[in-house]
Amino acid sequence: MDFFLSVSLTGLIMGIIYALMALGLTLIYSILGIVNFAHGEFYMIGGYASYLILSSLTGLHPLLVVPMAGLVGALFGLLFEILFLRPIHKDRIDRPDEYAILVTFGLSFFLINLTLAVVGPYPHRPPSFFRGTVDLGLVNVSADRLTASALSLTLVGALLLIINKTWIGKALRAVSQDKQAAAVVGIDSLSMNSIAFAAGAGLAAVAGALLAPSFSITPDVGAQPSIRSYVIIVLGGMGSIKGSIFGGIIIGLVESLAAGYFPDPSRGLRYKTAFGLVIFMLVLLFRPRGLFGRKEE
Amino acid sequence: MSTKRRLQLNLPAPGSKRILQWGAALILLVAALFVPALVQTYWLHVIIIAYFYAILSSSWSLLAGYAGQFSFAHVAFMAIGAYTTGMLGKHLGWHPLVGIPLGVVAAGVIGVGIGALVLRFKPAYLALFTIAFSEILRLVIRGETQLTRGDHGLHLEPLLGADIISRVPYYYIMLAMLVGTLLFMHWLVRSRIGLFLRAIREDEQAAAARGVDVVRYKVLAFAITSMIAGLAGAFYGHYVTIISPNMMVLTQMGLVMAMAIIGGVENLVAAAFGGILIQVGLELLREFGSWRLVIFGALLMLILRFARNGLLTPLFRLMFGMGPRAELREGTAAVAEETAPVAEGVTADGA
Repeated sequence: MDFFLSVSLTGLIMGIIYALMALGLTLIYSILGIVNFAHGEFYMIGGYASYLILSSLTGLHPLLVVPMAGLVGALFGLLFEILFLRPIHKDRIDRPDEYAILVTFGLSFFLINLTLAVVGPYPHRPPSFFRGTVDLGLVNVSADRLTASALSLTLVGALLLIINKTWIGKALRAVSQDKQAAAVVGIDSLSMNSIAFAAGAGLAAVAGALLAPSFSITPDVGAQPSIRSYVIIVLGGMGSIKGSIFGGIIIGLVESLAAGYFPDPSRGLRYKTAFGLVIFMLVLLFRPRGLFGRKEE
Repeated sequence: MSTKRRLQLNLPAPGSKRILQWGAALILLVAALFVPALVQTYWLHVIIIAYFYAILSSSWSLLAGYAGQFSFAHVAFMAIGAYTTGMLGKHLGWHPLVGIPLGVVAAGVIGVGIGALVLRFKPAYLALFTIAFSEILRLVIRGETQLTRGDHGLHLEPLLGADIISRVPYYYIMLAMLVGTLLFMHWLVRSRIGLFLRAIREDEQAAAARGVDVVRYKVLAFAITSMIAGLAGAFYGHYVTIISPNMMVLTQMGLVMAMAIIGGVENLVAAAFGGILIQVGLELLREFGSWRLVIFGALLMLILRFARNGLLTPLFRLMFGMGPRAELREGTAAVAEETAPVAEGVTADGA
């Protein structure tokens, strides 16, 4: 029982961070109607931004750099959205579905190789937020991971507040429900697209900056977190904010429990991501709208 | 002078356009036959690998550009072919000549399965599903070290035995495979099946209403292209003699996609040339190190945004009047349409 609880707790801590990243993907999907296949690369940008800022400006507390990393990711996202995604919504692209898949995947290919060329293939690790571990009774958790989890939880809460209580949140929800009706009441859906994409990219970058001290970063580090985010948004239901929060926690728990209870522990660890992927394929096959998705999906 | 040549190219009856295309293909093929006499061993190796990528990019263009199924699992099927024959050879001692066909069969069987599963998916879901499939497979290959040797890499017997060190026979085999698969795919897209696939891509429901068996042809396209990828992978394994799960990472898929799209994803030959030219280009630009792929990545995005037909398709169209659009317009109407601007050009020149 103790083992079960401690494994679950570890899963929960990771799950909240996963949820933060998936939330970014959901935001983009629900407003722009596209899956961002470069989401993991914004995670990677966040990690490298915090590493590069911290190694050039010594004396700064690592936690202060997290918002800066998020900003860097958001700016990259904004630039990409304006240059490559805005034309879709101005009807300048034929076969927009295919274009969106290919161009975001193209961005991922471009960013991975750009990072390889600029910083090289070797792993980097920014300094810890706080050293040592924290005793949570059942399990000792590294202070870094706990900080990352707590900050993610705060950010998820703040995001929910923004979406539900502010004017911008209302405008975003309006665009995601009905673009034309939103336009009628004076909401500029093009700028909402830019805001959503920049925010989504920024959230991924924040997740990257939060996890970089725990898991070092390499140019191709984005593959795992982005695939995990796809799993989460499909499980939760594409475009559902509630879905991505629950989905993130479920995937965190599944990965932790499955790896913990797998007969051969070292193999269990190796297949950690595969467990989530199996769930993913099952959901796609049997319940494509996920847990909380809109019916038309 | 140039106006005159264009006039001659465009005016004749549709049949001669085809003669021109096949003539150019034949000249290229003859030139390709002499490559081993002209280049050193190292470059011969580069060109063999380039042909390997050309098979992958052209078969992916058949799946994506013609059938509209943007699968991210194409290099995974290549790896299925390679690992099938590799494991049969390692554990059962089976000869590559038995292993390679079985690798193709394995890719085909799994291709039918995956093709049937993704049948009803929208493009984004299909992309997500194939990424998941490809990653699960890669994790399993990495994880099952007793079977696959994981990241250490699996050793394969050289196809022609250890005695033959020369790369020349491998060159001709890879060339034959490239030409063979291209001819087969060309026949396929020109046949009724190709027409059905394009109809399905344009409007699935309309095609179904017209009596096209959508399920059958979509799965068929997925299975055939998977088998071609499996064949390329199985032979590649017995050529380079060591394979690892790294052969199927998503950036490899990105490279194959970049080749097809930069060449021209809606034209088999353009996609194949995209593969050859990019692979050779990567070698020529070796001094630029990692920046080479940055350039190709940027090029990929710009081409997607501004030139959906790729770089080579418009060129081919200019030279031979080739490509799907020209095929549709063949006949007197096309001839009239083609000649009108040229005739104007002539009078303008004269004036």
